[in-house]
Amino acid sequence: MNVVEINDVYKTYHDTEVEVRAVNGVTLSFTKGDFAVIVGPSGSGKTTLLNLIGGLDQPTTGEIIVAGHRLSELKPSELIDFRMEHVGFVFQSYNLIPVLTAAENVGFIMSLQKWPKEKRMARTGELLEAVGLADRHNSRPSQLSGGQQQRVAVARALAPRPEFILADEPTANLDSKSAETLLDIMEKLNREEEMTFIFSTHDARVMKRARRVITLEDGKVVSDERTNHRE
Amino acid sequence: MITSIAWKNVWRNRTRSLTVIAAVTVGVFASVFALAAINSSIVQRIDSAVNEELSHIQVNTKEFRSSSDILNIISEPDKVAETLRKTPGVTDVTGRIIVRGIASAPSGSAGVEITGIDIEKEKQMFTLSGKLIPGTGSYFGADTKLNSAFIGEKLARELQIIRYILTAESLTALVDKGVPSAVTDRLKPLEGQRFTTEKKLTEAYYRLLTPKEIKKYGLAIREAAWSYREGSRVILSFLDVNGNQTGAAYRICGIFRTNNDLFEATSVFVPMEELRRLTGLEDGVYHRFIARLEENDMTDRVTPVLKEALPGLEVMNWKEIQVDLAMIADYINQIYAIFMVLILAALSFGIVNTMLMAVLERTRELGMLSAVGMNRRRIFLMIMLESVFLSVVGGFTGMAVSGIVIGITNHTGINLVKYSEGLEAFGYSAHLYPTIGADFFIILTVLIVITGILSAVYPARKALQLNPVEALRGE
Ligand SMILES: Nc1ncnc2c1ncn2[C@@H]1O[C@H](COP(=O)(O)OP(=O)(O)O)[C@@H](O)[C@H]1O
Ligand SMILES: [Mg+2]
Repeated sequence: MNVVEINDVYKTYHDTEVEVRAVNGVTLSFTKGDFAVIVGPSGSGKTTLLNLIGGLDQPTTGEIIVAGHRLSELKPSELIDFRMEHVGFVFQSYNLIPVLTAAENVGFIMSLQKWPKEKRMARTGELLEAVGLADRHNSRPSQLSGGQQQRVAVARALAPRPEFILADEPTANLDSKSAETLLDIMEKLNREEEMTFIFSTHDARVMKRARRVITLEDGKVVSDERTNHRE
Repeated sequence: MITSIAWKNVWRNRTRSLTVIAAVTVGVFASVFALAAINSSIVQRIDSAVNEELSHIQVNTKEFRSSSDILNIISEPDKVAETLRKTPGVTDVTGRIIVRGIASAPSGSAGVEITGIDIEKEKQMFTLSGKLIPGTGSYFGADTKLNSAFIGEKLARELQIIRYILTAESLTALVDKGVPSAVTDRLKPLEGQRFTTEKKLTEAYYRLLTPKEIKKYGLAIREAAWSYREGSRVILSFLDVNGNQTGAAYRICGIFRTNNDLFEATSVFVPMEELRRLTGLEDGVYHRFIARLEENDMTDRVTPVLKEALPGLEVMNWKEIQVDLAMIADYINQIYAIFMVLILAALSFGIVNTMLMAVLERTRELGMLSAVGMNRRRIFLMIMLESVFLSVVGGFTGMAVSGIVIGITNHTGINLVKYSEGLEAFGYSAHLYPTIGADFFIILTVLIVITGILSAVYPARKALQLNPVEALRGE
């Protein structure tokens, strides 16, 4: 079952004199349970592609269908609700709300979705446990290390059970040990919660851990390989 | 959830929020307190004008105010008095005879208005009897003779009935009041000397004390030296009904002190009977009737009724007589409005600035919130709430501080005597008892909240203009 379908998508920027084709004719699909990484050098269009998939931006041409929604048909306000309901985001940094505790951050999207308090608390506890931060419920982001913050961000993205999680270079700011831990956790959640992960990186260590590696160059998919190193 | 995030966001930059709150507090307090002080002095001024000097409505012939002819008497006085008494709202009526003349004492004289009054009736209708300076006698007390006069302090000074003497006792009293004996010792050379004016006394001690001491103790020294010889006499002279010069020696039975120098300097009150005898004005003849109303608020309503009922006479209420005062009284609402606008403008300026700064600083975070699905309505609401919290906390702190300080100073009063010469000359008290209506407080509170909300709109809209992709880029 396809969670994401991308059909001949182009994204062109005209900001400067020259037109930049950040995404230049991409056709791809992701299935439930994918653990896919998008790699490519800086400027190859990874962020742009992830933004398109997540409904943060609209393609210039082409069609993106996520969980049965044609994103081009959604109005901006509907796109926000779509993101809240279907997509989990993990960014490179500035993921967390600084005035809230780790637990409150994990619960944030669930509370936007108006989950009842008990369910929300139970899910938060379960996820903080899963990301190895069971003892940091009441810590503020500023009291957590970069790796711990990213784990909280993963827990938050996962909490309301979205269709998939998009993570744009989630390890870029982390040391290798923290990056390993984060990937371990993502892998485990992928397995245990059957959560689809689509993330980008230009970090070879991260690449090795994926079961599917999509390589972008100048906005084009130059290879899409499934590796079976886990099985 | 949003409410709690907004509240926490307010305290994120503690210093900045506290600064804004403090600024709003100070602004609100300063304005409210200044207004309360102004209000108090106006209220007091109106109060004393009505209760000590004018009452609510005065009736006399149309020529009375412009001409000093003693024959400007009210015709058919019984009918007029009856009409006044029967008019709804009027609680009390009294008649006066009034002549212009000269008051003279051995060392001075002054032009005055001599008013013959019904002593008992006027005691009920005016509070002037209570303005007697202690130690100067009484308001036509039990031993009053017919030729007694009740005069103002200012006139007494001009006639030099009040003098300044530093006696041994008054020097001791000064020490008891906390004036250092080093200072009183240096005043010793003045002991027993008699100064006819305050100025002469001042000149004398200026030579003996340092400027600092003068500033600190001058007032106390002047008060201690103030002295009055009971039973002083004054000659009042004026024209009788036949145009002949007449007059008599009057014993001063008491001296009153008000906040209105002009009134103090020109008013002499004497028992009606004696003045009738001297002027030849018959019983039942009056120059003026004075009517007191149940409430001051009725003035504007009752005045036209009386004007219509007494067409041949001049009917004037206190607002018409003291136009300046009435104008201030009527403008007080405009003054209120101006102050409110000032308070709110300052508030709004502070809030808009702070919130804009907060929004711009948090571009990435707001982008992230929008990316993960916080919709526009919620983001807008969050920023609005932050602004409202800021303004409400600041505004209410300001209101609370104002309320407390006004409450306290309303009891203790603010003494402006040191700076008061200018004030009292215009009839404003040198003691302020700040006061402000509860309605003003309520309205201002509501307006502060509304201003907080309105000031939040612009920064909140700014927050909505952020594009999450742009905001998050540059990671
Ligand atoms: N908002 C934009 N305006 C203009 N050019 C953009 C914009 N966003 C991205 N680009 C350009 O698109 C290309 C792809 O960028 P991006 O998707 O950020 O690549 P990556 O994430 O792989 O580094 C780059 O050349 C970048 O300069
Ligand atoms: Mg990128």
